[in-house]
Amino acid sequence: MPVSSVTANPSDRFRRVLRDPPLLISLLALWLLLGLFILFPLIKLLLRTFEEGGRFTLANVAAILADPNQRQALWNSLLLGTLVGGFGTALGFLFAFTAVRANLSKGWTAFLDGAIILPLISPPFTTAIAMIFSFGPRGLITHDLLGVKGFTVYGLHSTLFSETITYFPIAYLTLKAILAGIDPNVEDMAFSLGSSRWRVFRTVTLPLAVPGLANAFLLLFAASLADFATPLILAGNSFPVLPTQAYLQITGLFDLKGGAVLSFVLLIPAFVVFLLQRFWVSRKYYVTITGKAGAATEIKSVPPWARHLLLGVCFAISAFILYFYVLLFYASIVRAFGADFSLTAKHYGVVFTEGLKAIRDTLIIAGVGMPIGGIYSILLGYLVTKKVFPSRQAMEIVSMVNYSLPGTIVGIAYLLAFNDPPLVLTGTAIIIIACYVFRYGPTGIRTTVAILQQIDPSIEEASSSLGAGSGTTFRRITLPLILPAFFAGLGVVFIRSMTAISATIFLISINWTLITVRILEKMTELELGVAAAFSVLVVVIVFAVILAISFFLRLFRQPGGPEMANILGG
Amino acid sequence: MEAVSIRLDRISKSFQHRVKGLVSAVSDVSLQIEPGEFLTLLGPSGCGKTTTLRMIAGFERPDQGRIYIGDEDVTDLMANQRNIGFVFQNYALFPHLSVYENVAYGLRVKGMEKAEIDKAVSEVLALVGLRGYERQFPHQLSGGEQQRVALARAVVIQPRVLLFDEPLSNLDAKLRVHMRGEIRRLQQALSITAVYVTHDQEEAMAISDRIAVMNAGKIMQTGRAEDLYLRPESTFVAQFIGKINILEAEVKGVKEGGLLLNLLGRDFQVASGHGSWKKGERLKVFVRPESWEIEEKREAEAFSGEILEKTFLGEKVDYLLKIDGQTISASVYDPFRHGTFTPGQKVGVKVQGQAIQVLRD
Repeated sequence: MPVSSVTANPSDRFRRVLRDPPLLISLLALWLLLGLFILFPLIKLLLRTFEEGGRFTLANVAAILADPNQRQALWNSLLLGTLVGGFGTALGFLFAFTAVRANLSKGWTAFLDGAIILPLISPPFTTAIAMIFSFGPRGLITHDLLGVKGFTVYGLHSTLFSETITYFPIAYLTLKAILAGIDPNVEDMAFSLGSSRWRVFRTVTLPLAVPGLANAFLLLFAASLADFATPLILAGNSFPVLPTQAYLQITGLFDLKGGAVLSFVLLIPAFVVFLLQRFWVSRKYYVTITGKAGAATEIKSVPPWARHLLLGVCFAISAFILYFYVLLFYASIVRAFGADFSLTAKHYGVVFTEGLKAIRDTLIIAGVGMPIGGIYSILLGYLVTKKVFPSRQAMEIVSMVNYSLPGTIVGIAYLLAFNDPPLVLTGTAIIIIACYVFRYGPTGIRTTVAILQQIDPSIEEASSSLGAGSGTTFRRITLPLILPAFFAGLGVVFIRSMTAISATIFLISINWTLITVRILEKMTELELGVAAAFSVLVVVIVFAVILAISFFLRLFRQPGGPEMANILGG
Repeated sequence: MEAVSIRLDRISKSFQHRVKGLVSAVSDVSLQIEPGEFLTLLGPSGCGKTTTLRMIAGFERPDQGRIYIGDEDVTDLMANQRNIGFVFQNYALFPHLSVYENVAYGLRVKGMEKAEIDKAVSEVLALVGLRGYERQFPHQLSGGEQQRVALARAVVIQPRVLLFDEPLSNLDAKLRVHMRGEIRRLQQALSITAVYVTHDQEEAMAISDRIAVMNAGKIMQTGRAEDLYLRPESTFVAQFIGKINILEAEVKGVKEGGLLLNLLGRDFQVASGHGSWKKGERLKVFVRPESWEIEEKREAEAFSGEILEKTFLGEKVDYLLKIDGQTISASVYDPFRHGTFTPGQKVGVKVQGQAIQVLRD
């Protein structure tokens, strides 16, 4: 009945905050951090792009756009993003539709889920490396199996293929939730009105999934736009894209300004995607129309031949993904893949001697970032959902910025912001940890918000009516309920700390380096076996962490708590 | 513990609605609830009954007016300082706590000793018939069991008053009737003051000592179920408690304490109700469907009617019939004794003068 209390006027809200010192302190601290690690670097980036001798200028952007090479990179980025978005969404829909509608047995579902989760938890190069092992000059398929001569693995085709395989699981997770949310009764209803199966799919199922398809496309477009590692290895010289151009500008030519301007050019499409998602797709979602979900009827919308076809395609693709990982592992235990297939442990030897520092650094950074990310996520998520204060919506939007931007932009912005006084952080671990916390914290924030929105306000009122003050209520009721979000938040920060590279490649130093960077170095030094061994190590560590987190999630399982797979999809 | 009174002194509350702007939910409501009394706030949705209850609980603060529990002015106290027991519509059990921990929660907050908590929890679980359920979790319980846990959790802290916000609306019809009996018995066993909110008039009549009928943020009438049914003070109350036929009548004569009315061409001696009437004036009266008597053979003083529609409900039969060009609804109980009539049948219809009530508004 009551909608909201009459506390709408701003000065009243402000006074409320002043009367609540813990809230006031938390807000000030959060805004300080958000300002420092999200807004300030972004402003620095814009200043670098548009300021020349204290004056506003468009000359830098114009110069980049006038360069045919860079124009080509912009065009290539957009083309690649569109293609990956299209193919990945189609593949994701195929898998999601099969998973939801094909009545799979438990074992097969687990097989599909396993194959799909692998690309999500791998370092970004994994499929790219496997591509080279498979289709490269001495590749298993092109060279040994087919004996193709003169096939070039480098270029648009490989980058597109690799990125599609890497990112379609995101589309799968998004669309699976949408398809599972469609009440089967709605489809049964269409049947009862005399539609054919195909017509039901075309006129009911597909239109209901359209917002999900649009969202999946945008997610994949953004992921491809931001992807730095895959094009760096697979695109080659003939197919430059913006993130790699920006990287080469800075590390190759030491042109910080050029890198800044290039990343600004990258920011525009990324920002458009962000706006589309926030203000267009999110409003198009169809809410579950009926109050009570229909009974889980034997789902009749797929004819048997179509079911077999769907299953066949899905298993073929899953098997191909698994083949990539087996290949990666195999390459890590043979002397020289493609030339000398005798078994050896020497690559792992390199990993655990020369590579030990990178492993140690990465684990320290991930380990420190993890609890900070978890606390940051639930604190911010709690405040923006449960408290009324001025700048609430602004805080929510700002907290999402670094998550939405391509890593290259964030990395270059951090480099620009923390290289000079007042705050010199270049070369420290802090800059890398801060980058991870503010870039990957939003997953935890969104989980916190989702859980809190499910908790009926009357639960906290019940606690209050039983004599508990707001502190006791938070500690004994709210906090245990959002604990899954805490684990989700710290899990994602840890996993991404182990696997990300696009932002942090600009932030590493002699003092602090990362496994992913070592993988890249080994790739360029053509020590592919060592690169493979590092990749296998990362996959194993991340997998162990996921198991641990799933265990904790199950331990604190609440009705309506998040699934690990959904967390990774965000 | 001694039962206490509750007094609402001219309370008002407005809300900001996203579409309608500022809407008044409760306006200028005063109400005195006696110690140990079971009072129900009854009304259609949006009438302000839940808001009133939430203000008594301390979940909302009135914009104007004062609230007293016993002699204490609690208007400025938070919900957790008022010592009330609240039972929510959706039960609001803590999903991560077992039945035992849910019930013990309020006692732990008070800092009670472990042994005492054990004793109090097992006593109250026995009282609501849930002994042995201690280690179950809310999602493992049926709706009725969850309801009992909510009840146990509310009474175990020995609150000064018990407040219920449509606690039975999520249960099926049979269980609802059973649970309302249990709630009433529990309230009497504890002899505690209770305020109950519902939109179901039958539930309200069955469970309460007194009912306050609310509409559009105001209390229309307060009284025992009998008073509200037999002597409603407004058309709204007459319509909300039971059903009515509204008919027009003409004053033929005024006597002390009564009127001579002409209704559908026949004269009736009725109680005048409130207000003064003059001969020749036209006024509105109501007759409840169950007040009509239908007979197969028309006696001289009866109206002649024709059955239009018939709805057979077992314990009674509802008819729509036509008298003198007017359509009225009538209910006849005990079909064994009175038989049933078929649409199109011509019948005699009678009504007693006491059953005709003058409407004030």
